[in-house]
Amino acid sequence: MAAIFNALPGIEVPVDSINKYLAQMWVDTAAKGGPAPAADDVKATQVNFVLHLGFNTTVDDALEQFQTAVLFSRRAPCRVVVLCPLPIDDPGTEMRAKIYGECHLGKSKGDTRCCEFVLLSYPFGARQYLESELSVCLITDLPLYYWVHRFASIHRLTEYQYLLRRSERILIDSSIADLGIFTFAWPRPEAVRDLVYARLLPVRQSIGQLLSGYEPAALIGGLRMVTATHDEKLTAEGRVLLAWTRERLLGCGALPEVGFDCRPASPTEGGLLRLAFEYANGHCFQWYGNVERKNACIEADYGAGRSTMHIAVSLLTPDAALSDAMFF
Amino acid sequence: MPDAQRHPFLQGLSKHRGAPPTVVVIFGASGDLTARKLIPAVFNLGYDNLLPADFFLVGFGRKPIPDDEFRGIATGAIKEFSRRELNADVWNRIAANTSYVAGGYDERDAFDRLAKHISAIETKIGREVQTLFYISTPPSVFAPILLNLGASGLASRYLGRRHHAKVIIEKPFGRDLISARALNTTIRSVFEEQQVYRIDHYLGKETVQDLLVQRFANAIFEPLWNRNFVDSVQITVAEEVGVGTRGGYYEQSGALRDMIQNHTMQLVALTAMEPPVSLDAEAVRDEKVKVLKSIQPLRVGSGGDVVRAQYAAGMMGGKLVKGYLEEEGINPQSATETYAAMRLWINNWRWQGVPFYIRSGKRQARRVSEIAIQFKRPPGTLFAESDRFNLAANTLAFQIQPDEGLSLVLNGKVPGLETRMQPVKMNFRYSTTFGSNTPEAYERLVLDAMIGDGTLFIRGDEAETSWALYTPVLEAWAAAGREGMGSYASGSWGPVGADELLATSKHTWRQP
Repeated sequence: MAAIFNALPGIEVPVDSINKYLAQMWVDTAAKGGPAPAADDVKATQVNFVLHLGFNTTVDDALEQFQTAVLFSRRAPCRVVVLCPLPIDDPGTEMRAKIYGECHLGKSKGDTRCCEFVLLSYPFGARQYLESELSVCLITDLPLYYWVHRFASIHRLTEYQYLLRRSERILIDSSIADLGIFTFAWPRPEAVRDLVYARLLPVRQSIGQLLSGYEPAALIGGLRMVTATHDEKLTAEGRVLLAWTRERLLGCGALPEVGFDCRPASPTEGGLLRLAFEYANGHCFQWYGNVERKNACIEADYGAGRSTMHIAVSLLTPDAALSDAMFF
Repeated sequence: MPDAQRHPFLQGLSKHRGAPPTVVVIFGASGDLTARKLIPAVFNLGYDNLLPADFFLVGFGRKPIPDDEFRGIATGAIKEFSRRELNADVWNRIAANTSYVAGGYDERDAFDRLAKHISAIETKIGREVQTLFYISTPPSVFAPILLNLGASGLASRYLGRRHHAKVIIEKPFGRDLISARALNTTIRSVFEEQQVYRIDHYLGKETVQDLLVQRFANAIFEPLWNRNFVDSVQITVAEEVGVGTRGGYYEQSGALRDMIQNHTMQLVALTAMEPPVSLDAEAVRDEKVKVLKSIQPLRVGSGGDVVRAQYAAGMMGGKLVKGYLEEEGINPQSATETYAAMRLWINNWRWQGVPFYIRSGKRQARRVSEIAIQFKRPPGTLFAESDRFNLAANTLAFQIQPDEGLSLVLNGKVPGLETRMQPVKMNFRYSTTFGSNTPEAYERLVLDAMIGDGTLFIRGDEAETSWALYTPVLEAWAAAGREGMGSYASGSWGPVGADELLATSKHTWRQP
C-alpha cells in the first residue's frame, strides 16, 4: 500500500496541516502565473467522496480508480479523500498525507471546475483514529459518499462503522468484490449500491422502454424460461441483469413455473450479453448485444408479429456509473 | 406518477428514461427555432441516451425538401447550435429515422399523407408509436394546423392510452384575451387539455425549476415568504439586443406581449404562488392560476401601475447604436413599446401590500433575467447610525440567466476594532457547483412532453388569466397611440418613468 500511496499523484504534506496546504495550493497556482481559480468560485464543492482502496488493490488499479475519481469530480465537484491502508503494522509507521488539485478548463470561464484530493496513508492499527482525521479532511455539512474498492475481506468494513453509518450511499462493485458482500450485515442496507447495476443502466433502460409497451399480463402469460447469457468477463453483469429481470417480471404478476438461468456464452465472445424469454404460446423476447462494440438487437413478438430493432448500447463509463449510483 | 404505479419494467428507472416509442413531427421544420433549438435538443437527448430506441423525427413544411437534404440541414444545425459537438454515432442513428413531409398547413391531403407516413413507421417497426406534434410556426397558421390534425385523425391517435398524441405549441398564445380564447377554443375542438403542451422555454431553465426547490425544500425561506418579511419583489428580464432584423414582427408585438405577458408572468406565478398539494402538473398549475387571478387590475395613465418606453440612440459595448424608430422596418411613428415596467399588487393573505415590480426591455445595459426578493430591514435602532453602519436590506436574488444561480445579501462586520458593517454576498452558481453541462431548456421540455409530464407547460386557463390582466393595458395603449410613450438611451436600465414608478414607495430598481 505504501507503493500505492507513493504512486498516486499529489504533494506530500504534514498530516496536521492538510487544510493549510490545501488552501496554499490555490494561492501558489495563481502566484506562479498558472490558471488562477477565482477564489471559491471554481471550487464549489457538491459532495464529500471517500475512495477506500482495499488490500487487493494494485498500483495500476489504484491509478485507474484515481483517474475515475478525477473524471467524476469534473461532473460533480467534490472533496475526494483517498484512503490507503497499510497492511503491515509496524509500530514506527505513521499516517502520511498528500494533497492534489486539478482544474478542468471548459469552453468558458464559467466552465472551469477544480477539485481537491486528500490522500491518506494509514497503518491498519491506526484505523480507530481515522474517523477524527477524516472529519478534518471532509467539508462540513456536505453529504458523504463512500466507495469501497477491492477489500480483501469485506468484513474488514466493520472497522469503519463511522463511514458505513454516515454515508448517504456506499458503493461497491460486485464484479470484483469479495463474495462476503452478499452476506455482510450492512448497518444501512438501503444505502448500498452496486456499480454493476449502475453500469447496466443503458441495458435496463432499453429493455424497460421496450417491454413497458406491452401489458404486464402479456409479458408473463405462457412464460417458461428466462435466460441471461454472458461473456465470461461479464459474469456479474449477467447475474445482476437476470436478478433485475426477475424482479421486474414478478412485478407483472406471479411466476410459479418460470425458470431463471444465468450461464456463460459458449463459445465466448468479448462483450456479449443476452437476455431471452421463452414462451409456451409462441411469444418471444430476446435482447442481445455486444457492449464493447456498443450495439444491440431487440427481437419481440407478443402476438402482432416479430419486430426487430437495432440500437446503440454500451455500459456506463466508470465515472458515469459512479454518478448514477450516487445520485439516483 | 409514483414509481409503484408505473409499468413494472419502468420502475426504478428515472421517469425521463421511460419515454415510449415516439414520432416527433415538427411543423415549421425549416424555421429558425427548429435549427437553433429543436434539432440540437433532439441530438443532445440522443447523446444522453434519453430517447426511446424507436424514435423518429419528421419535418413538415411547405417547402419541398428531400429527406437527405433535410438530414443535411439538421446536421448543419447541430454543428452550429448544439451545446455539444456533433457525434456521428449518435446522430447517424437519429438521422436514419429522420424524414420530411412537404405540404401546406391548410392542405388536408398533406395531413393525410403525414398520417400514412406515421402508419408506415408503425408497420415497419411492428409497434404502436406515440406522436408528438411540435407547432413551431408563425401563429397565423396555428389554427389550420390544429384543425387539420383533428380532421385527419392524427390528433385523436390512441386517445385514452398512455401513448396518446400530444401537441406542443410555441408562444404567442394569442395577442390579447379574445384571440387567446379563440386559440384555446380551436385547440380544445381538436385536443383534450391533457394532450396540449404550451411551451414557455423559461420554465425549462434550471433556475426557474430551482425556485420551487428553494422555496419549498428549505424550511428557512418559506416562513419569511410573505408580507410580514418581504418588502418588495423585483423581476427583471432584460435584453441587450435591439429588434435587429425582427422589426416587422416586433412592431406587432412589443415588450408586453413578447416578454411580460408570458415569461415574466410565469416567474411572478412561481415566486408568489402558494405551496401546491403535490408536484403533480395540475396541482402546480392550479396554484399558478390562483395567484395570477389574485393580481389587482392594473391602472393605466399618470400615476398608474404601468410604464412603457422605446429605446433611443445610445451606446452599447462602446459603440453608438440607433434608436428603435430608426431601425429597419419600423414605422417612425411607431407606438410599439420596447420596454415595459409594471407594479403588481397581489390581493391575497400572503402578499397584501407587497409590490411586485416587473420590467422587461430591449437594448438594456446587460442581458440578465432575475428575481430579487428584498426583505424588510430589521427593526430597532441598534445599527441606526448610517455613517458607521452601511446596512443593506437582505436580498435573495435568483439569477435565471446568464450565470444561473442565486445570491443572498447579508450584513457582516468589517474586521477591525470598531464595529462597522458592510453588505456581503453569498453566491451559489450552477455551473461551478454542478458543472456547466446542464441540459438546455428545450431538451428538458421536449422530453417532458414525450413522457407526458405537463408540469412545466402552461395550461389554457393560465394563458387566459394572464391575458385578462394585460388586455386592458394593451387597449389603453392602443387608444393613446404615442401619448405617454417614454424613451430611454440604449445601454441604460430604462426610462425615468420606471424610476418614478418605484420612487413613490421609496424603492429603486436594482442594477443586476
